[in-house]
Amino acid sequence: METVIKGLRTNRAFAFTTVLVLLLLLTAVAAPILSPYDPTEATMRNAYLPPSAEHLFGTDKLGRDCLSRVLYGARASLSGVLLLVTTVFIVGTSMGVVSGYFGGKVDMVIMRISDMMISFPGMILAIAVAGILGGSLVNAVLALTIVSWTKYARLARSMVLKIKRRDFVEAAVVNGGKPLHILWVHILPNILPIMVITAAADIGALMMELAGLSFLGFGSQPPAPEWGLMLNEGRQQLQTAPWLMVFPGLAIFITVVVFNLWGDNLRDVLDPRQEE
Amino acid sequence: MKKMWKVSAAAAMIGLMALAAGCGGGEEKKAAVAKDTLKFGVTNFADSLEPTDNYFGWVVMRYGLGECLVKFDEKMNSTPWLAESWKIGDDKLTWTIKINDKAVFSNGDKLTAQIAKESIERTFAKSDRAKTFFEVDEITADGQVLTIKTKRPVPTLPGMLADPLFIIVNTKVTDRDYAKQGPICTGPYMVKDYSKAKAVMVANPNYWDGAVPFKTVEIPTIDDPNTRAMALQKGEIDMAINIAPGDLTLFDKKDKFYISSIASLRSVLARLTSAEGRPLHDKRVREALLSSLDRETYNKVLLKDTFTTGGPAVPPSLDYGFDELKDPNTYNMERSKKLLAEAGWKDTDGDGYVDKDGKNLELDFVFYSGRAELPLYAEATQADAKKVGIKVNLKNVDYNVLDGIGKRGECDLIISNIITANTGDPEVYMNWYWKTNVNGSNPQNGSGYSNPEYDALSDKLAVEFDPAKRRQYIIDMQRILLDDAATLIFGYPQTNMVSSTGITGAEIFPADYYWLTKDVKPAK
Repeated sequence: METVIKGLRTNRAFAFTTVLVLLLLLTAVAAPILSPYDPTEATMRNAYLPPSAEHLFGTDKLGRDCLSRVLYGARASLSGVLLLVTTVFIVGTSMGVVSGYFGGKVDMVIMRISDMMISFPGMILAIAVAGILGGSLVNAVLALTIVSWTKYARLARSMVLKIKRRDFVEAAVVNGGKPLHILWVHILPNILPIMVITAAADIGALMMELAGLSFLGFGSQPPAPEWGLMLNEGRQQLQTAPWLMVFPGLAIFITVVVFNLWGDNLRDVLDPRQEE
Repeated sequence: MKKMWKVSAAAAMIGLMALAAGCGGGEEKKAAVAKDTLKFGVTNFADSLEPTDNYFGWVVMRYGLGECLVKFDEKMNSTPWLAESWKIGDDKLTWTIKINDKAVFSNGDKLTAQIAKESIERTFAKSDRAKTFFEVDEITADGQVLTIKTKRPVPTLPGMLADPLFIIVNTKVTDRDYAKQGPICTGPYMVKDYSKAKAVMVANPNYWDGAVPFKTVEIPTIDDPNTRAMALQKGEIDMAINIAPGDLTLFDKKDKFYISSIASLRSVLARLTSAEGRPLHDKRVREALLSSLDRETYNKVLLKDTFTTGGPAVPPSLDYGFDELKDPNTYNMERSKKLLAEAGWKDTDGDGYVDKDGKNLELDFVFYSGRAELPLYAEATQADAKKVGIKVNLKNVDYNVLDGIGKRGECDLIISNIITANTGDPEVYMNWYWKTNVNGSNPQNGSGYSNPEYDALSDKLAVEFDPAKRRQYIIDMQRILLDDAATLIFGYPQTNMVSSTGITGAEIFPADYYWLTKDVKPAK
């Protein structure tokens, strides 16, 4: 945490992108205040209005205000992706740490499961899982968690294997430290920076996958405002009402770029190699 | 080794350039339709060409492969096709049908009454839908004369024989995989290669009814309406079926495209499951639902006036009283709210949805997205119903499971875009969805709807030969449906076929299964 705060002061790029990320989050939180209309309120007589002063982003096929939907969409998309990254991070890391630290049969079982997961193409498996569970944002998050945790597990495991042999861990074991204590106090803090960097850099990619699932109809369901879903809804009017695809697409694009840059800068700030 | 690198790099460059040229050349290509190959972008639901399976016969006919004894003209009159003429006997049961002497199958076999008989019998043996059309007492064949005796009087028998279910196949050929190769039929084209994704048809060298204009017809399945429109704009296909309502304006350049559009025989409707224990069992709730929906706006604004606003079950393209029938449940939100309150539904927990006994009024609405207007109607329903406090849960399902869900009544609303007069008049359609289903006697009615008066009219209609009386019965039946709020008719679509000006004769018919015909020709 201290390094992050120090980074904010010394690394301008990091400070700038952090502000952008905060702005995005703020937009999502403040959507009800910023939105000029209710995002699900359908005034059908006003369908397909092009962008104008009244409706800055135009209106969609049911006459709903596109700007309000994009703003509210930030809530669904951001909370979805943050939930996803958090679950993947927690599940993956803890599996990896347990597997790496205890070794033996535990390791074998966890790693073979993870091998199995890796042997399927990720998105296809996610579609299959989401298809079986039925379409909803939570199910899409679940499906992507199931296919994405292995990356974190493998990373965490390899790092634990390295740290496990370091003197301070051995010393802790000799001193009679309980496994849980050792994991929590000696091992986790040492792998955490790398894991956080990985997670931060992943936000953009996972956001795309989540939007992809929604686009295909396995994520958010109508009438929820969600960017991937809005893209799909606009697809039918690509030629006659292009604004229905342009604005949600821009929203995804900007968000992914901001999170990717932030992830990169966070790595610069946190990377232990630079510290040494 | 180094040389090989150079060679492959050069090859890659050439490939890239060819690709670039291919992408850029769209403009010049457009005008020149290859004179012997037609490319036709369609929607397709059939993974087999077995005409008796599901509704796959439609595809057999749409692709110019199969023909029936009878054909509908543009006004839905029954006209000769493989049959030359027909008449009914004095007993009102025996139909004498004369088979055209010229008709031959694509393998050169002559179509005799005997083969026609076997073909019709085959349909009855393989499809349980056949008997919902008519029931046969006896079929006999003598030379070119086919005699069909029905169990009960069937006034519209010729029209029924025009349904693709009764495509005439060559029963002498037994070693064929109907699903992949298709049957041997009499149409202008034959199957060269078929899959759900793409069909290649070739000219039938033995076609009996004139010259076949194209050597090859490629029929790619492009289910997405937007992609289909773009493929036509780009010149990748020469004609396309059903351009989405909103996209028709893209094709109004008369020198490049020709739009053939007519009011179809279809209704887009949602069957309402009114079985005991369902929320829609209460007539007041059905009425409330219907009057909460601003159907006029759906059709005029959302669908850009390419649909006529729904009311009675039979579309205005058919003369069955559209103008005299009044829908008692037109858009009226106040009435809708009042009806809900009368039925005991009130919003007591303040969540915006009305509830009774602690449960919200929730309706499951099953739809599929193969047709562009269906999701739109579904979502519009959801949005409008919400305004009076009815929660509509949308369930997007695959078309293949839709039929089963409807038969079992596993939802509250189920959408269909259905042809209302596949036999030339709406009798079969009126029976399917709304005639009482007793222990599976009418499996298509899974909604639980039952009205003895309606059934009585249906029974009278079944044996009535007088057109004026038939018309009156059908009007009365529609009135019962309207008064019972038995079903939700969203609208009646126009249907279209858009072709490049490089070809002529691409006309759409009210009956939805004459797509690729011998009349689709290269422009001179």
